[in-house]
Amino acid sequence: MSNVVQLPRWIDVGLLPILNLVLALAVSGLVVLAIGENPIEVVEVLLYGAFGYDEAWGYTLYYTTNFVFTGLAFAVAFQCGLFNIGAEGQAYIGGLGVALSALYLDFLPFPVMLIVSAIAAAAFGAGWAYIPAYLQARRGSHIVITTIMFNFIASSVMVYLLVNVLRPEGSMSPESARIAEHLTLPNIVSLASWFGIEAANSPLNLSFVYAIIASVLVWLLIWHTRWGYSIRTAGANSVAATYAGIEPGRHIIMAMMISGALASFVALNEVMGAQQRLLIDFTAGYGFVGIAVALMGRNHPFGIFLASLLFGMLYQGGAELGFEIPTISNDMVVVIQGLVILFTGAMGNMLRPGVGGIYQKLYVAWINRRNSRESA
Amino acid sequence: MQRKPLLGTIAVLSAFLPGIIATSSPSFADETIKPAVVYSTGGKFDGAFNQSAFTGAEKFKTDTGIDYREFELRNDTQSQQAIRTFARDGHDPVVVIGFQQASALAEVAPEFPETRFAIVDMVVDQPNVQSVVFREHEGSFIVGMLAAMASNSNTIGAVGGMDIPLIRRMTCGYQLGAHYVKSDANVLVNFVGTTGAAWNDPIRGGELTKTQIGKGADVVLQLAGGTGIGVLQAASDAKILGIGSDANQNGLHPGQVLTSMVKHVDVAVYEAFKAARYGNWQPGIKSLGLAEGGIDWALDENNRDLMTDDMEVAAKKAKADIIRGKITIHDYMIDNTCPN
Amino acid sequence: MEIFQIGVLLLDATLRTSTPLILAALAGIFSERSGTINLALEGMMLGGAFSAATIAFYTGNPWIGLLAAIATTIGLSLIHGFACITQRGNQVVSGMAINILMSGLTALVGIALFAQGGKTPALDKASRFQPITLPGAEAVRDVPILGPIYFELLSGHNVLVYIAFFAVPAAWWVMYRTRFGLRLRAVGENPGAVDTAGISVVLMRYRAVVCSGVLVGMSGAYLSTAQGASFLQDMTAGKGYIALAAMVFGKWRPFPALFACLLFGFLDAAATRLQGVILPGIGEVPVQLVQALPYVLTVILLAGFIGRATPPKALGRAYVKER
Repeated sequence: MSNVVQLPRWIDVGLLPILNLVLALAVSGLVVLAIGENPIEVVEVLLYGAFGYDEAWGYTLYYTTNFVFTGLAFAVAFQCGLFNIGAEGQAYIGGLGVALSALYLDFLPFPVMLIVSAIAAAAFGAGWAYIPAYLQARRGSHIVITTIMFNFIASSVMVYLLVNVLRPEGSMSPESARIAEHLTLPNIVSLASWFGIEAANSPLNLSFVYAIIASVLVWLLIWHTRWGYSIRTAGANSVAATYAGIEPGRHIIMAMMISGALASFVALNEVMGAQQRLLIDFTAGYGFVGIAVALMGRNHPFGIFLASLLFGMLYQGGAELGFEIPTISNDMVVVIQGLVILFTGAMGNMLRPGVGGIYQKLYVAWINRRNSRESA
Repeated sequence: MQRKPLLGTIAVLSAFLPGIIATSSPSFADETIKPAVVYSTGGKFDGAFNQSAFTGAEKFKTDTGIDYREFELRNDTQSQQAIRTFARDGHDPVVVIGFQQASALAEVAPEFPETRFAIVDMVVDQPNVQSVVFREHEGSFIVGMLAAMASNSNTIGAVGGMDIPLIRRMTCGYQLGAHYVKSDANVLVNFVGTTGAAWNDPIRGGELTKTQIGKGADVVLQLAGGTGIGVLQAASDAKILGIGSDANQNGLHPGQVLTSMVKHVDVAVYEAFKAARYGNWQPGIKSLGLAEGGIDWALDENNRDLMTDDMEVAAKKAKADIIRGKITIHDYMIDNTCPN
Repeated sequence: MEIFQIGVLLLDATLRTSTPLILAALAGIFSERSGTINLALEGMMLGGAFSAATIAFYTGNPWIGLLAAIATTIGLSLIHGFACITQRGNQVVSGMAINILMSGLTALVGIALFAQGGKTPALDKASRFQPITLPGAEAVRDVPILGPIYFELLSGHNVLVYIAFFAVPAAWWVMYRTRFGLRLRAVGENPGAVDTAGISVVLMRYRAVVCSGVLVGMSGAYLSTAQGASFLQDMTAGKGYIALAAMVFGKWRPFPALFACLLFGFLDAAATRLQGVILPGIGEVPVQLVQALPYVLTVILLAGFIGRATPPKALGRAYVKER
């Protein structure tokens, strides 16, 4: 008797997320109006800042790189039913791994350093994620709270180390020494020159390629391996998983460690690529953007990549806002970020009954018309 | 007095940078310039350091009618992008405020050899960079004298922002000045933190001030940028005297601010703009102290009644003596120690 | 004697530092005991602080500022409630969204209103909560031991400090001695049973998040109109999360949470004063490690190494009426 129509996939993973995004952007537009600026003008500045000149592309993709990593980090944990709010801290500690290897193993040749630094970042990030993961898996400590706590602990540890240990003699800024030029990740200018192309200068570097590789690997891992299947099962229903012979604890730890390792690759982009030294707070909230990106991208690498691109654009365009419209700072981007998380994450199902209802009406109308045509 | 580059590492590191400029320093004599300022974290309304730079830029705008562009850093990682954006858009000169931006400027300056840069509070050794540094200890010596003379409890305090040699140099001068007039004066010194956040935490600044007051301090000097607003607020709330720094802060709580150790960042910015405008801009280190009028102590209608004749005379004499070299004040940054 | 004096000053500072934590932790308790996770304390505190400073600046009256702060945080609580209770959305995500949103929005609106880089203008004395001298404080000031304790420690705080300490027994009484409190705790433990008894789970949870909003609003107003004299971007600097930790550390109960707040406040006050200080025999104190202690202690507690923190059973689960 039930005439509820199952929503087709294109509505579920396509239309609804887009409508939610539109809603978030519409509310952002209202915020702009409320503070007395013209939303159209803001969009123009954003787009100009993100794509309007040669370097802008590079900056947009450089931000995108960070968001791909933190988005994937959130998604992998989420597939296992875990909220990893700790990407910020894991990336920060990952930076320590990168800086230590690049500063103290500087005798290594560059190709070796490429591998060593990535392993160091992953090991530090995964290690930092391991503790909350272990506590969740073995002692039942709520991972949301522990990862938040671990962000703050990471911040304290890093301040201590940067101020007291890593700061070079005679420097006042709490930052590490500069990484030797030949050990830094090649940026877009030198990468392009290998192919004889001249590129505009920007912090975009080799780690963008890593981000693409990581996306593909995560996609393979989660959707095309037995292990991926079992973490998704464990995430969906830990009781069922246990009956199926899957031990949730081990999967929680593995998923979190992969998540931490992915987050830590932000450090490759920042510490080894863009800044070429370890700075205080170099993670600058990228870990939290990862939540927005993953939710928007429905925790799928392809979606995450598109969402990261959108946020990369917003971040770079937002920086331009700070220069062009004095009354609107790049805090506007933070507002948009919050609204996107609210509408696509927390209230993601708000439009479902409405959209479902419309779809159902159209569907029923279509069936009726077909039936009447057939009977005619 | 020419001081050694503070950050030797910058000079060394810059040797690694690509595109070292072999040409002589750029020279211009243009009529129209497009100046820009990059403020450090804390922002142009910090009521102190950055605001002083803002004042200088505004004065230039009023005097010449030439508009300028500005950017306020939210965190230090934005510094490179901000400086680079201004340089790329053809802004010249680009003045960056604050030592935290030194490494970013050292990175960007060689990429734009035709652009004139200036940095306040740190030395960046590049052929197209002017580095403006202040001898703050000369000013803090004088306000230290005044604080000790104004104190009834013989206990005075100083609240520093970030715990770095630059600020220790000022607390050291303050201490030496206090002991110069009262050898038994008790000087309390606290710092807010070790990161950039320490410049922007008035609540913690107020907390430290309350503790110093509890320990008997009745004059407290703020050396903490935006945090200092909280220091002066707490001093005013407790009805004791505060001392401002960087900008003239006497007017924030009239009658409750003994004086201000003025650091003319405004003049540094104004002069950099003006020199670029008239084509007599020079790279290299510019050290400003009492003699050059870069550092001073403030006396105006807001603190006139707090200042006795004795105090005014003593301060003026000390200023003259320092300029003539009769008093030499130990510079903490030479050996990272402060003689007692 | 000097040790005694330093001790009194430190405890005095502890009271000031723990006040916003206490109010926010109680706010968290109300929300979470009814089953709604409240990670949004940080963002709500910011929103409250901003509204309080802005309205106090325009009206010159801190009480109107306080009301504005409470109105703001009730509004935010209702958004959170709508997402979590009505939409049955993810409660963690909703909390994070509000935190991020408020971090940006307060700065953005602040710049639009005052053009001072996200700050609000400094408030004069009349627009702030001023210290209250308790009766007889001046008279006993010079009495040894008791004098300093009464004069320095207990007297001379602003009204919100006293409200915060009064709120703890009040919250306890509401939660454990009233029918409202009983039902509130019941919807957090066993919503099905409450529903069977004919009480609306949804309405009950909404009432709980509104209580939460009132408390966290006061906490925000304290920061910008009592302890400080203006709003600054991100001025909460993690206090909402510390309050959250204190709530967990206090096992979701008012009095233990009070002690956790006092402990964390004490650590913060001590760390502030130890910055750059070289202690004889110890050397320079690693202040960052003192500052990390609240988080470390909370993690250790959550791990079950010192007692066990058991959250309300239905925490984080939206209630779906069974048919």
